[in-house]
Amino acid sequence: MPRSSSSPKSKSLCCRVWLTCALLGLSAAHTLAKDVLGVPQQVSLSANMVAQQLSISWLGGAATTFDLMILRTELNETVFYETVSVTMNQVSGLHQWNWTSLDPLECTSLSIKVRSRDGQVTSEWSNTQIFQGNDLPSNENFQLYPQERIMPVGSNATFCCIVKEGQLFRSIQYGSRITTTTRLSRRSYATTVVNQGPSSSWGTNVVCFDSLKEPQGTVVFVGYPPLLSDFVCETYDLTSALCQWNEARDTKLYGKRGTRFTLNKRDCPKGRQQQRQKKCSVAQWEGNWTLIAENPLGQYIITDSAELSHRVHPVAPVNVSAVIHAWNATVLWQWTYSSYSSLALVCQVELSCHGSKTNYTVSGEGLQSVVLSDLYPYEDYSVQIRCGAQQNFWKWGNWSEAFTFKTNPYVPDAPDVWMWLNGDSTGQIVWKPLTQRQSHDQITGYEVTFWSTEENLQHTHIFSPDTTAAPINLTQIAPFSSDTKVIATVIAKNTEGPSQPANVVIRLTDAEPVAVSRAVYTDKGFPLFWQSNDNATCGYVVEWHNTVCTRNCPVDWIKLDAGTTDVLVESANFQPGVRYTFSLFSCTSEGRELLQHWQGYVQELVPSSSVILSTSQQGSDVLLTWGEIPLVSRRGFLLGYNIYNSSDSELKLIGNVPDKGSRSYIVTGLKEGSHKFTVKAYTSAGEDTGATSSVTVETNMDWLILEILTSLGITAFFLIIVTFICYKKRKWVKKAFYPDIPEPKLPGDWSRTQGPLDVKPSSNSIIHIVDKSDHDPSKEMLVAIPEEDEDEDGQSMEDESVDTDEPTSLRYYNQVVDERPIRPRYPDSSASSASSLDSVRTDVTYTGIQTSGSSLVFQLDPAGSSDDHQPHADLSVSCGGGGGGGGGYRPQMQPRAQNDDIILASPEPLDEPLVASAGGYKPQSSWHLDSPVEAEESGGRAPSLGSPTSVASTQFLLPDGEEHAEAKRSSATTWFTNLLSSAKP
Amino acid sequence: MAFRLTRVIGGPEPNRSTVSRATAIAEQLSQECSILLELYRKKESLTTDVLMDDGRLVSVPPTSSQLDIRDTLWCLHSALLQCRSLLERAIAREEEELGGGKKGDYETQRKMVKERLSLLLSNVGELLKAVDGAPVLSPSLEGLELNGPTILFELKLWVYRIFKEVDYWTKTTITTLQGLPSVMAKEHTRTARVRSTRSTRR
Repeated sequence: MPRSSSSPKSKSLCCRVWLTCALLGLSAAHTLAKDVLGVPQQVSLSANMVAQQLSISWLGGAATTFDLMILRTELNETVFYETVSVTMNQVSGLHQWNWTSLDPLECTSLSIKVRSRDGQVTSEWSNTQIFQGNDLPSNENFQLYPQERIMPVGSNATFCCIVKEGQLFRSIQYGSRITTTTRLSRRSYATTVVNQGPSSSWGTNVVCFDSLKEPQGTVVFVGYPPLLSDFVCETYDLTSALCQWNEARDTKLYGKRGTRFTLNKRDCPKGRQQQRQKKCSVAQWEGNWTLIAENPLGQYIITDSAELSHRVHPVAPVNVSAVIHAWNATVLWQWTYSSYSSLALVCQVELSCHGSKTNYTVSGEGLQSVVLSDLYPYEDYSVQIRCGAQQNFWKWGNWSEAFTFKTNPYVPDAPDVWMWLNGDSTGQIVWKPLTQRQSHDQITGYEVTFWSTEENLQHTHIFSPDTTAAPINLTQIAPFSSDTKVIATVIAKNTEGPSQPANVVIRLTDAEPVAVSRAVYTDKGFPLFWQSNDNATCGYVVEWHNTVCTRNCPVDWIKLDAGTTDVLVESANFQPGVRYTFSLFSCTSEGRELLQHWQGYVQELVPSSSVILSTSQQGSDVLLTWGEIPLVSRRGFLLGYNIYNSSDSELKLIGNVPDKGSRSYIVTGLKEGSHKFTVKAYTSAGEDTGATSSVTVETNMDWLILEILTSLGITAFFLIIVTFICYKKRKWVKKAFYPDIPEPKLPGDWSRTQGPLDVKPSSNSIIHIVDKSDHDPSKEMLVAIPEEDEDEDGQSMEDESVDTDEPTSLRYYNQVVDERPIRPRYPDSSASSASSLDSVRTDVTYTGIQTSGSSLVFQLDPAGSSDDHQPHADLSVSCGGGGGGGGGYRPQMQPRAQNDDIILASPEPLDEPLVASAGGYKPQSSWHLDSPVEAEESGGRAPSLGSPTSVASTQFLLPDGEEHAEAKRSSATTWFTNLLSSAKP
Repeated sequence: MAFRLTRVIGGPEPNRSTVSRATAIAEQLSQECSILLELYRKKESLTTDVLMDDGRLVSVPPTSSQLDIRDTLWCLHSALLQCRSLLERAIAREEEELGGGKKGDYETQRKMVKERLSLLLSNVGELLKAVDGAPVLSPSLEGLELNGPTILFELKLWVYRIFKEVDYWTKTTITTLQGLPSVMAKEHTRTARVRSTRSTRR
């Protein structure tokens, strides 16, 4: 690329020249501009301290744009620095600009300077002008600004505190709140409160504290500018105007800071500031009104305009009076302003009587009276009047003062009469007491006249004013029969005279009983319905009374027109829990006729009393019975009874009995013991408290005894049958159970007649057995055994042994002993018999039925007492007691007595151990030998036969296996055995 | 020592019931002043830092034990009279500057204190009359600053100071009246001694 070439020296010179020219040019231009934008001169300041506004003026030449700078002098802080456009005042040639400070101007000194600007070109700053604050050293006081300022709600406010020279700043308090502060100068501190709320009527205190704790304060009032509504003007006197308005909001500024009002540029008097509705009057009707409301925070203007005739608000009538009669009255009044006489008015008359109000409206020109008709005699009334303009009605005027009056008295109305008949010839005529509206004056009394149509006699009775019933006894008035009628007439009297008579026809008829229906109460009463009755020529009467009452009842009634077929019966006297009977009568010229009955409750309640409960046991069942609850206590229609078992702490429902006449209940399946039952009657409202009764279920002794007797009877009958059969079949029985035992064939003559041997012990029941045998001292004596069966326990033996007073025959029994002498049918072994006869000349016969395997054995030990000498057979049948015990019957056997010469001389019975050791009386187990042969086979040991005493024994010989059962046989068996024995041929 | 009021030489003496009644009124007023001060502090949201005691507004000769009953009662009566004047003026200024708002408990209590103070003043006046034997001369209110400050905040502090002043002098009255019997007894003894000395000289 080609490049031009030049010498460096020439280039540098050229640049230097060009730069110099440029600088010179700029310098010339700047000098020219300075000459055009002159420095502002004669800067001056003026302040509006309340508005915190600083007015700055200066001479600024032709410039229209200026830079303004405002500094806090002491701290050299810029408060304001802006370019503003200011036009020159053509008259004074001054430029002026207003600056509003956020801080009170007293807070600290401000430095202000101005310079002219033209685009980017500015002049020099003017001389600085200082607006001196109150924090100058020359002003040493403790100060707070602004003082007593009134501010709108929601505004921001800055407060500054200048502490005393030499003191330290502590805090600024706004109301009860400590605020944050900024320092403006050496002694000045400021705080800004934003969005201030309304203050109280005493204002909000702002207090500054320094190190001396001496407060400096100010009061600020924060409120609203006025706001009005409902501004309207009207006239009362048809001449002047009275304007009224409402303050739409409370300005929160009162007293000297409160709102001032001017109406058509005339000041309105200050009324009560707390009243929201204000008023201001103008003497003449002007047609147009302007109301200005003004307070320190602003003003509000409101206007109204109207013609007088459209804004007539009549005043209240005055001097109200009345001309009074019994049934009507004329009310009179006057007007405050005479101008009303030509004013067409419409008036309202409000008539009050016992709280009820009736309004009448009348109209007319200059209206001053009204006639009130349809009044009641002897009644208190109160009347008030208010009026409005009949044409172009604006609003009603104020009510007049209430005027009260009482109408004149009059004769009373005829009383409402009815009757109550008790069913016999007595009863009472009843009438309703006359109300004040019916009596028309104070009632002085009642006159009741009974007139019998047959007798044509009158009986008149006078009653006091408080009487409402007259008793009647028809038999005293006329000989009463079913077709006789008596007319009762009742007349009420007051000071004005008697009333019209009220009649009721009394006629005794045998009224057929009518069915009773149930009346159900609704919210409004008892609705009753019936079929129309053609006989009811003069209407119907519905009568009601407390069902409990039967004679001379306080009855109430209502009379109905003919053609009525329903009524709603309501009474303030109705009470819950009371049954009422309603009766419908038709009214005829011949008297009354009962058509229908109802009964009902206003409200059913639970019964007030409980049933009377009784219980009775029927076997294992319990019958609960209870009585009827009296009607007065039922307090509702009984629906039934609930039966509870209340034996435990809780009631357990066990049954229910509907109320259909039955008042009993059977509780079945009860266990022995005590039971409690509760019966509760219930209505639709619930159960009563219940009646409780206790019963103790016991075993039925009658039945038990009857069962026992029946069992015994059956048993006896069975025994009789068996006995009879046995008796009839005794031969068979004998053959079967007691066959004849063939007589033994003995060598020699054994035919000596043997008889029973009764051993009669001595008087002391001691058997003295003297052993006369020399060769065998061991052959013992006969042991006296008490007369008793051989009970194994031996106890009875012991007891019986004591009875030894009478000499008794010593007998040995096995099981059953026949009292009769035992025939010596079965001679024992010859040895024994012989020895018996030889020794004691006593014949003791043992008679018994023995098993074939058994034998009668007398075990006598020749050696006396050695165990070795006990027979083996004895061992084989022994039942306990050890080998030495021996279980058989051993009359002669000594219980191992060492002394061979035993003499039973003691009158005492055998001791228990002795008996026990002897092994008791068991002939079946001990008697083995029936023949001397066998005796010999036994080793020459046939001691029984060698006994000096022979014993006869009678017994059944049963198998060994039945041995123990034998011992337990009852007396019945004994009896049976005897029977069989007696049956022996 | 039984409380027995005796006649001071040369004049009537206060009876016991008048002293008791005046004491009771002063005690009642003291309670009402306490309530009023509390209501004022509450309505102005002012702390005790702000409401510092700044000297007495009522000026009376210094009381001392050397003063006799009459002088004591006179000082008391004078102070209470000044209090009432100040209180009336405070109420008026307050109504002028801050009135017009809804009347509340504070205004009711303020009125009650003013009326009770008048009643107490009347009773103390009776006592003074009983002691002095002559109609009570109203002390001059000259020199008493009745206008108060013009700055609203200072006016509020001034009103509070007046309430405090009423409270102070009410309490002083209670103390004085309660100690009156002993002072009277001393004077009676002194008087008797003087009589005795005079009779001896004769």
